[in-house]
Amino acid sequence: MRTFLILLGKELRAFFLSPVAWVVLALFMVITGQSFSLSIGLLREKPSDFSIVRWTFFPQWFWYYYFFLFPLITMRLFAEEQRAGTLESLLTAPVRTWQVLMAKYSSAMIFYCVLWLPALLYFGLLHWVMRGDVEIPMGALGGSYLILFATGLFHVAVGCLASSLTRNQIIAAILGYALILLHFLAGTFLMYLSQENPDRLRPLLDQVVTMRHMDYFTLGLIDSRPLAYYVSATVLVLMITHQVLEYRRWKA
Amino acid sequence: MMINVQNLTKRFSGRTAVDGISFQVQPGEIVGFLGPNGAGKSTTMRMLTGYLPPTSGSASISGHDVFNDSLKARREIGFMPENVPLYEDMRVAEYLSFRAALKGVKIREVRSHVERAMEYCGLTEVKKKMIGTLSKGFRQRVGLADALVHKPRLLILDEPTNGLDPNQIRQVRSLITQLAGEHTILLSTHILSEVQMSCRRVIIINKGTIRADDTPDALANNLQSSGTVSVELKAAPAEAEEKLTALEHVRRLSSSDAGGGWHRYELRVEPGGDVRVDISELARARQWSLRELTQHNATLEDVFVELTQRD
Repeated sequence: MRTFLILLGKELRAFFLSPVAWVVLALFMVITGQSFSLSIGLLREKPSDFSIVRWTFFPQWFWYYYFFLFPLITMRLFAEEQRAGTLESLLTAPVRTWQVLMAKYSSAMIFYCVLWLPALLYFGLLHWVMRGDVEIPMGALGGSYLILFATGLFHVAVGCLASSLTRNQIIAAILGYALILLHFLAGTFLMYLSQENPDRLRPLLDQVVTMRHMDYFTLGLIDSRPLAYYVSATVLVLMITHQVLEYRRWKA
Repeated sequence: MMINVQNLTKRFSGRTAVDGISFQVQPGEIVGFLGPNGAGKSTTMRMLTGYLPPTSGSASISGHDVFNDSLKARREIGFMPENVPLYEDMRVAEYLSFRAALKGVKIREVRSHVERAMEYCGLTEVKKKMIGTLSKGFRQRVGLADALVHKPRLLILDEPTNGLDPNQIRQVRSLITQLAGEHTILLSTHILSEVQMSCRRVIIINKGTIRADDTPDALANNLQSSGTVSVELKAAPAEAEEKLTALEHVRRLSSSDAGGGWHRYELRVEPGGDVRVDISELARARQWSLRELTQHNATLEDVFVELTQRD
């Protein structure tokens, strides 16, 4: 545990001392802030089926930037250590490979969570400005954060895997992006297929299609099946990453 | 026993980098690991530090197997990898504190350990600098400080003076000599003078096998085969060559014209015998004029060349 915390501390420092992190954070605040103000405008014009939470977190352009986030966060993690050779000094210290992996993964996950925190502030501000004369659907808010966390767990793990496969950060980023997009598109493809065969594919859809999870959770419908899906997929991907790191040493 | 290596082998896809080597190192020894580039030095060190798993054979560090009991073995080691990989975006003191804590130094003692290591390696003046901005010499010292910051019993240094200028090499070498009292040291190099000056024992390795394992002096003495004797004579060349070659212990001979009827002969001599007496007696009997007769003792460099180029 001590070793893990030391490694985590180092990784977090590396995150928050690098300019890239702050640029990402700033860009992200611009995007979510813009979404928030647009959704207020939208709701003022005409009534909508969806709540302000839904419009803020998942505007139409959500899918355009959401997947870019993960390569940006994770591409450096292992690729940089392998390029600089520091993986050797790291792994010849008395540490276990999984401690290194979990420290890096957790630091990326913490950074990902930090990215979403300012959005909470928006709703707090709105509440304050309106002197409580606005209803913020807490269920939808909680559900949105939960599903963002769950998909984040999985996507950050995929980013780690991509980063462990190469010593080039650019390749790691592209590979991570491709894998994440592949998973997403496979889900959309299933949705397309289900139009012809709704009864048979329906149960599968609820399990694995990210877009559908987002729809449910942002309504405040919390379903344990997608959560179980993302957690187990995360564990699987992290185990593969661990094997990759070990295998590279065997082969080297 | 500090290091015990038994039949250690490492095969990479199709290529054998280390081929069944065995050696032991006792506590307090300073052992030089000598060999040309690509001989298997780094691979052996990486196996000892648990970075690469061996294909077969075993190695242990003070009784802890490097593969099955890797964490305990690694705690005993301070390792400085080849080319000294470091985190460019950390400050020197910050990096060393991180490394000390990672290697199990108690949080309260990290500071004193780091101060001591920095003082030892002459890093106090740059402790607040980013590692990325340091010169090669300083980087090398940071690597060394990293290796010894947790006071390990064994230091494994992979080419600690690689790429340094002569002054820096001298500094690092004197640092290593200072460290000798407290640590067992295994260092690799292809610079011979370094081994001769700082090591009490040399292991010469080539193409993955151990070619020699002895003190530098003994190696040089035992391998007088690469010693030579120079002779300058005034005599009929054909006769002189024939007689000299016929002498006991002489293996090979090369001659050159030294002008004015003089000829110079370089004799390669086998270990054991001193041919100089025979030559002077031969010259007297044949009534040759003799103006030079010199024996050149083999240096470690000769031994190195002899052992690593024979095939």
